[in-house]
Amino acid sequence: MTILTVALKYLRGRLVATTLTAVSIALGVSLVVASVLLARGIKDGFIAGATDYNLVVGAKGSPTQLVLGVVFRMDLATPNIEDTIYQSLHQDPRVETAVPIGVGDAFRGFRYVATNSAYFAAFPWRRKTFALAAGKFFADDPPSEPAYEAVLGAEAARSTGLQIGDRFYEGEEMAEYPLTVVGILRPTHSADDRAIFFSLPSYWGMNEVARGMAVKPLTAVLIRPKRMSDLPSLNRELNISADTQAVLPSAVLLTIFNMMAVAENVLKMILAIVGIIVLLYVFVAMYSATMERRREIATMRALGARRATVFGIILAESAGLATVGGVVGLLAGHAIAYLAGLVLGQSGLVTNPFLFNPFEPVVLVSVILLGTLAGLLPAVLAYRTEVAENLAPLS
Amino acid sequence: MRHCRRPTRLVREFRASLAAGLLLIFVPLAARAGSEEIERLTFAQLVDSIRADSAVTETIKSYNGKQVAIQGFIVPAGAPDLSFFLLSRVSALGNYCCEAPVGQDETVYVFTTKEVNITYDPLRIFRIVGVFEAGMRTDATYGPSLFRIHDARVEEAFGAKVFKTADFPAPGPKP
Repeated sequence: MTILTVALKYLRGRLVATTLTAVSIALGVSLVVASVLLARGIKDGFIAGATDYNLVVGAKGSPTQLVLGVVFRMDLATPNIEDTIYQSLHQDPRVETAVPIGVGDAFRGFRYVATNSAYFAAFPWRRKTFALAAGKFFADDPPSEPAYEAVLGAEAARSTGLQIGDRFYEGEEMAEYPLTVVGILRPTHSADDRAIFFSLPSYWGMNEVARGMAVKPLTAVLIRPKRMSDLPSLNRELNISADTQAVLPSAVLLTIFNMMAVAENVLKMILAIVGIIVLLYVFVAMYSATMERRREIATMRALGARRATVFGIILAESAGLATVGGVVGLLAGHAIAYLAGLVLGQSGLVTNPFLFNPFEPVVLVSVILLGTLAGLLPAVLAYRTEVAENLAPLS
Repeated sequence: MRHCRRPTRLVREFRASLAAGLLLIFVPLAARAGSEEIERLTFAQLVDSIRADSAVTETIKSYNGKQVAIQGFIVPAGAPDLSFFLLSRVSALGNYCCEAPVGQDETVYVFTTKEVNITYDPLRIFRIVGVFEAGMRTDATYGPSLFRIHDARVEEAFGAKVFKTADFPAPGPKP
């Protein structure tokens, strides 16, 4: 019988205690893995979902709300700006492309986004490409003749079950202005998958207030300058204006990352404490198990087992527990991160559920080493078990 | 009187080996450090290098392909992973004070290959080290630029000073 076989038999012999110890290790590891994967996933989700446009222009207010509302649709839209701001930016010689955006209500939680064909255009500088899974893009209809045609993001189409040709509206006041599905987009793995797009004239036509306005409202304008070096001057001019604010979306996201880093540091401290608690739990479990079977150990020694063999059995037990707990914890961590990713996806942030972090093997090796270390003192106690003392009659 | 014992042959050989080993380690390191000296560039030099026809001078072009270091404010004009950003003499995001935004002659297009791990602050000066390139070039993604730094790394420049054009009077005889 090898050391490993004996250790395994011992672990099986106290199955409940063994399972509880392995589960506590797995919980600790899964917490660490899920936290790291989610933190990374959220950051990557923001990076992947960021707009290709370099400047977002909207009404005065919070830059974070503007970017989260217009780009990620995770926040309420900022107040409106006038369409004339878009017109002047469109004609600005420093601007290569200006895209008007109107963020409106929602259909079954999928946000309405009014824009024009430039939003979907494949410019050479764009990372993101829009392709149709079915149908066509809506046309740039004239303001006086809104077509009320809608293009659905992939997730919006899948969840609502709407097909090409279907007409839909939400709220009885919208019954007079139903939208007709003319296209369904392929997945872009961004917030656009959860949006319902249509033209600005349709947006203005559906809105009672906007219908009566001479100067039509917009939520924001996305800007791509001809020269990147013109960005600071455009940014400054639009911010000095009393009506608008301009933000660099990446600057807002980097500020969010800075705040996330603070939260991550706090989380790291909490996780370190969790790690210490789990380590102590393993130590206590192994210690009490060793104390309980001092008589068995003494018998083994009396039957010829060497001190080193007994020492090895206890270490093998704690290493085995740590290995099982570590592996289960890694898998559980990925499962938690995947489920949390699904929840985050519903709020507009798409994370990669199959993310692998290079630190994972390091975590597993560390857990096994620390688990083995927790069994070291009980193993030493077993090593020093005196045969005569522990084989004395109990009564 | 106590006499110091003469070192044995073994000890002498050990000392000699140790000295030779240390020489082998530190001499190449010192030589390497000398050969990889990073040239310091300033925005003043960049501005001075622009001729009337918007071409850059041969002096600034002589830095092409060399490792340079330059300090300025980061303008995150590209993706939030900072794989591309602008380095400017003035902070682009301080809207209510200081100086007017600068143009192309005081903006460096920075391209990084490794992940940038910094605490971004629009009002903090950063030191950028990378391979310099001067001359008008149009990139499909980032448009036309005069000055670029490739394979850049970003370091915090504590207490750094960003040199302005006025800090460097034009060369020539004083009246």
